[in-house]
Order: sequence, then structure tokens, then C-alpha cells
Amino acid sequence: MTKIRILAATVLLSSAVSPVGFAQHGLEGGTPMTFFVTSEPIGDGGNLGGLAGADAHCQRLAEAVGVGGRTWRAYLSTQARPGQPAINARDRIGTGPWYNFDGVMIARDVAHLHGDTLELARLGNNLTKQSGLTEKGQIVPGLNDYKHPRDGDWEYVKTTPYSNRHEILTGSRTDGRAFTEDLDYTCDNWTSNRDPSPGQAPTGLGASPDKPNVQIGFPDRNGGGDGSWNSSHGTRGCSQTSLVRTHGVGKLYCFAIN
Amino acid sequence: MKKTSLGILISALVSLTAFNTALTQDADNMPDSEDIPSSLMTFFVTSEPIGDGGNLGGLEGADAHCQALAAAVGAGDKAWRAYLSTQARPGQPAVNARDRIGTGPWYHSKARLSDYLGRRLNRPIIQSQIHGDTLIEAQRGSNLTKEFALTEHGELINGIGDPLPTRHDILTGSQTDGRAFTDDADHTCNNWTSNNEGTAQVGHSDRVGNGNISWNSSHATTGCSQNDLVSWGGVGLLYCFAID
Repeated sequence: MTKIRILAATVLLSSAVSPVGFAQHGLEGGTPMTFFVTSEPIGDGGNLGGLAGADAHCQRLAEAVGVGGRTWRAYLSTQARPGQPAINARDRIGTGPWYNFDGVMIARDVAHLHGDTLELARLGNNLTKQSGLTEKGQIVPGLNDYKHPRDGDWEYVKTTPYSNRHEILTGSRTDGRAFTEDLDYTCDNWTSNRDPSPGQAPTGLGASPDKPNVQIGFPDRNGGGDGSWNSSHGTRGCSQTSLVRTHGVGKLYCFAIN
Repeated sequence: MKKTSLGILISALVSLTAFNTALTQDADNMPDSEDIPSSLMTFFVTSEPIGDGGNLGGLEGADAHCQALAAAVGAGDKAWRAYLSTQARPGQPAVNARDRIGTGPWYHSKARLSDYLGRRLNRPIIQSQIHGDTLIEAQRGSNLTKEFALTEHGELINGIGDPLPTRHDILTGSQTDGRAFTDDADHTCNNWTSNNEGTAQVGHSDRVGNGNISWNSSHATTGCSQNDLVSWGGVGLLYCFAID
């Protein structure tokens, strides 16, 4: 905890031109938290109970730390289905700005968060390993943290809270919108915990016909060859054990819309 | 500290091979010692600055610094260039950092060192991705990460959250696209000759600070003296690229 505080303080001190002062969550006059990474997954792989179940998870974790007075949304897209239009994660999260546990601004607005212009995208938003905190102010363990031969094994990972678990479910493209291809990027709109059928040809970490799959991003901006916070690559499948194989546990980004 | 963790990493790998024969081949490809073959390195961050603030002796002085540090670790047979832009002056066209560094792809000093599962720790960096030449590349971001931006000795650069002093401000004098600034203001410590007046544009080797994650164009310094650079969280380190 002390270490986290020191990290956050250093980030703030270095942000000399940032409008964010040295404010902390929970202190009078502090900047209220409007962004966090879930400290815990729902735990059933890509089956979140749909968007409603994911939002409820964000809300429940927020309530547990005393910020349930806001309306929280999970940063997730759903894909178009017959009679159901697609939903874009970027359209669900309000207008910002969003601040983390320690009052550090993650992004000013939706365009800043996603890098809607070339210059915004090249600079990037302010979501980093140090700022991508959980609702409890914890850093999410990322690439190169506590490497262990079993850090892709759920039985090990669920009892080892400091091993790499940096893959956050989004189901979104880099621009924060739903995928339009007729392939699965959302574990069947957050209802599936299935894996590819036995004997189905292995297809790496992309989407392919009939493959249960979900698109993920990294709060530590480190992995998948690009470090995208919201859209780096897919998964081995949608079961909890499959998410863990590539170092995710099914965590979500949560944003307050008010 | 770092040598210790590397040692642990290597011993972990060695012990793993006893359990998993599939990994044996990767283990065989591991260097026998902690010495990384310097012939594989085509990118590094200087372990030390020139030390006179923004006065690098121009581009030539900066290139010579890269070359000397590379030579000291046995990589002097390559032609090294500092990643720096200079601004247009009467009779002198601007020089863009991105046009000076060859075509890549570039590997850092541990490019061939696998992790304990035999996976390459890092992919090479390439021109279009580190500069975000298309919107999708820019949104995905560069893989020039803190772990990639190692010195010629293979050491990490202290950044935000590490023990002080922070050394993550790397001199570039460049815009995010790797090109020189086109306005009249100084962004290059007078084309890398000033150690007092002026400003230098810097990037963050750890991709943290100033509200963005730019490796090459995060903010400007105020002043060009060595102390001015230090006050902003840097010491005047440079990115060096091999062009051959």
C-alpha cells in the first residue's frame, strides 16, 4: 500500500503541467474516483451475464469501497445480432474526465481516451500501469511481474494475487467500437464460457469461424506487440481457464457516467 | 539487483528443462552467461549522458556519443545515430530524427534472450509502429516500452516509481511523428549546441508522465543546462539506433 502511494505521488509530482492537483480519493477536497479496474473478475470466463451482469459487477465493487452513489458502466462492446444493434463501449461510459483511485486523470474525454486523431493517438491517454488502479488502489500485476511457470494456470493464479493478470476484457476495437465482422470478439456478447471444440484447429489468439473468443487490452500497456489498453488481441477461448492461459482473469474497466 | 534477477531467470529456465523437454531447445539457445551478444543489438538508450545539458556538440557530437558507447560493449562495427531532430535555420534545412535512423527493425540488447517459457521477451520495434504512422497503429501504441528501452549494457532506465533520480526524459527535439518542429520556437537547445538558453523536447523511456505515454515527444524542458534537464526528470540521455 505504501508503495502504491509513493508511486502515485511520484506520478503526480512529475506531471508538472497537469491540472490534477495532489488529491486523493476519500480525502476531503480530493478528486472523486470515476475509473477503476476491477480488483476481482466475475470468475466465469467470458460469461458476465451480459452487459447488465458486468455493469452490476462494477457497481457492486464500487459500493464496497463507498462510491456506489455513482452509476458505473463496464467498458464493453456487444456485437450486432439479428434484431439487436451493436453497442460500442465508448458510447457507454459518459463524457469524462475520469480519475483513478488517487485522483490521477486517466483521460479528459472520449476522444482523448481513444486517440480519435493521429496526434491524440500518438501521445496516448494517461492510462498506465501506475495509474490503472483497482477500486482499492491496487496496481494490476502485469508483464514481467512475478514470473512463474504456472502463471497461466487458473488453479495457481486464483491464489496468487501478484502474478500477471493484465488482460482486461473489452470486446472492442482500438477506437472503442464493436467489431463488425461476423466472428466472435465478445464471448457471444458476454454470455459464453465455452472453449473451442476439441479437435478444432488451433488458431492462435485471433478470431476465427466458430471459435469462442474475446478481445482484450492491457492497463500496463505492455504485451501483444503493441500494448493497446483496449484492443490488443484475442484469447484461447472463453472459459475461465482459457482466459488465464494468456494472462488474464476476466477483469473489467469500470467508468462512472456521472 | 538486475544481475541477480537475470541470474534467477536463467536458473529458473535451466531447472524447468528438467520438467519439460519441449523447452529444451529454447534453453539451448540461451546465452551461457549473462553476456548478451552485442552484435545483435541495434537499439539502445545511452547509459550515460554527454553531461553538458543540451549542448551535445550538434548531431555529430551526439552520434559520436552513441558510437563510443556502442564500441565500449563491442558493437562499434555498426553505424549508430542518435534519435534527434534539428530545426531549420537560414541555409540549413531541418533534419528529422526518423529519417536518420535507417529502416529497422531494431532489436535491443536482449533481443535473443528468451523468458522461462522460451518466448522472446520482446519483438523488434519498427518505424511505422513507433511513430504511429496510421491511426490504428497510433491507437495501438508503440512497443518501445520501458522493458525494451535498455541501455547498451542491457540495464533498465530509472523511471516513475523507481528509485530517484529519474532518468526517463530522453532528448529528441522531435514531434510525435519523429519530425522536426516547424515553428520558430526552440525545441532542440539551439540544434544541440546550447547548455543554457532554450528548451528541448523530450520523450519518456518508461512511457509514464505528463499525462501521456509518448516515448519521443512528451513535453519540453525549461532551459538547456544540465541542471535544467535534471529538474525535469532526465539527465540528457539519448536513443541510439543502428542504421546498418
